[in-house]
Amino acid sequence: MIHVQGLTKRFDELVAVDDVSFDVAAGQVFGLLGPNGAGKTTTLRVLATLLRADGGRATIAGHDVQREPEAVRRAIGVVNGGMGLYDRLTGREILHYFGDLYGMGRVAIERRIEALDGLLDLAGTLDKRAGAFSTGMKQKIVVARAVLHDPQVLFFDEATSGLDVMARRAVLDFSRHYPGEARAVVWSTHVMSEVEELCDRVAVLYRGRVVADDTVAGLKEAADAPSLEQAFFTLVRRSGLAEEQEVAA
Amino acid sequence: MRWSFVRRIAAKEILSTLRDHRAIVSNLIIPLLLLPVIMLGLPLLLGGLFQREATTVTELAVQGVEHLPAELTAAIEAQAAVLVAVDDAEAAVRGDAYPAGLIVSPGFAESVAAGGRAEVVIVVKEANLRAELNAGKLRSAVDAYRRGVVAERLVGAGIDPAVLEPVAVSTLDASTEAERSSGQLAWLIPFFIAIWTLTGGQMTAIDATAGEKERGTLEVLLVAPVRRGEVVVGKFLAVVTFGLSAALMAIVGFVLGGTVLRRLFLPLIGGQGGEMAAMMGGSLTITPTTIALLVVSSVLMAAVVAALLMSVTLFARSFKEAQTYVAPMSFLLIVPAIALQFKDLIGTGSFAYWIPVYNVMILMDDAVKGTARLAPILTTWGVMAALIAALLAFAYLNFKREDVLFRT
Repeated sequence: MIHVQGLTKRFDELVAVDDVSFDVAAGQVFGLLGPNGAGKTTTLRVLATLLRADGGRATIAGHDVQREPEAVRRAIGVVNGGMGLYDRLTGREILHYFGDLYGMGRVAIERRIEALDGLLDLAGTLDKRAGAFSTGMKQKIVVARAVLHDPQVLFFDEATSGLDVMARRAVLDFSRHYPGEARAVVWSTHVMSEVEELCDRVAVLYRGRVVADDTVAGLKEAADAPSLEQAFFTLVRRSGLAEEQEVAA
Repeated sequence: MRWSFVRRIAAKEILSTLRDHRAIVSNLIIPLLLLPVIMLGLPLLLGGLFQREATTVTELAVQGVEHLPAELTAAIEAQAAVLVAVDDAEAAVRGDAYPAGLIVSPGFAESVAAGGRAEVVIVVKEANLRAELNAGKLRSAVDAYRRGVVAERLVGAGIDPAVLEPVAVSTLDASTEAERSSGQLAWLIPFFIAIWTLTGGQMTAIDATAGEKERGTLEVLLVAPVRRGEVVVGKFLAVVTFGLSAALMAIVGFVLGGTVLRRLFLPLIGGQGGEMAAMMGGSLTITPTTIALLVVSSVLMAAVVAALLMSVTLFARSFKEAQTYVAPMSFLLIVPAIALQFKDLIGTGSFAYWIPVYNVMILMDDAVKGTARLAPILTTWGVMAALIAALLAFAYLNFKREDVLFRT
């Protein structure tokens, strides 16, 4: 479903994403695990066609992100932690706006909203302006907006940041079940417990590079560590990147 | 460019702005009321005040009233003034007891009667408008008295008083009716229209660019299968709509308000006040051609301002930061408006119509005065259209720049 090979992205002197490669199969929840500044968001932005890669290539649902950006955008949905919505529009108006941009007809949008209401419990959000939403209500519409066009690939970038425990649980459950047989989820986070619970495979990113790519159990075994957190630090230390950073500092 | 996407983006921005009550007040209500109040209400009010001051009987201080000849006393009293004897006219005026005063030197009447030279001093606070109006009454009276004495002396000497005016001078106003009626404050019309295109469009522009970045919705919008050019043009059209609506409301307010105020109040005040109100724009007449020229010029002005707003505000990381970028933009409109006041001195040769923004202001001024000509109109519209295209291209490039879109 997703194929990333040697992806590189520079901002002047800074190499934010350095020769990153990974594959995500249909039906998988794939984790991008790393601290702030590891290159997770930049990687997702390149895959979402918002940034142009300086090297390497990536395909999503068979479409090249550089050469077929519009086809890629039709195939993806993005949920980020900002929970940004248009305060003066109602939940329904926001969904219709994005539905129109995805080329869906009015009837198709309404049908989809009805279906998503069953999945996400959108009651109370559809005919109320977003400026009056609670955090949980916002996150429901943000997720509904991202999956409105039923994308094959869904990106979550620090999607639970700032959410209360109930809203966080709803997002985690939704993501777990979204892939089914034919779709995929990329879950970008620095929270180890989310990766342990959700991800079928995980790439550990540090300073723009993939230091490991395996199942959670595989990572623990490779690092000979009892927890994912300990495995993470062991793998980063082994990569030598942490020492490079200390020397540079 | 898919116009259905452009229309959808524009419609969303327009709906979003319309739901902001501040936008309704600043885009529709204030421009509707402000221009008539300033252009017509203020001159009419001032004209009325001047007229009232000229006809109100005022007490004026006179030091040495006993030396005043009866003819001069009568001339002053004929100017709606009453003379009050005081010991120190300068102190009386300085203490604001009287708006103006007169110091008559001892032996004034005798000296004049004997054919000699006598002196009077008019006392006034020159920075005070009301005092100056009343000092004017004294100057007129003294001048009338002086001319009478001179004529009397010349006749006494067997000389025709006309000998003092060997050349008769008069002025013939060659202005057209529209130029005469446009008044000296007609430049305020293009200035206000320009300012309203900025004021009316800025809220939508900031919300649609820096606001979207700050909320995090711009990233989500650009992930949708919509092209950057469609996003730019859609948002641009929304900004133009609000800039233009504010400018058009200013024009509507001017035309409707002007008609009502002129018909209701101008005939009432008459005389000197009426002349002043007319001079300041109170009797401006607007023809359908003038309105058409103002509307097209406003569209171009709104489009230039909108494209500039889009380019500048996208650089900002937040709504507040964008506001600091927009504030200096008003100087780009104020400077040409100031230049417009002095256009008679600067000159309005064909080169002036090649200077963007200034050219539209001159054209609006021409339209109001009924002096617009085809060649300058075409030059102005062509230059502005080229500038709009260039600024939109710049905005489009900015929307493709990663360092601008993801500047944090």
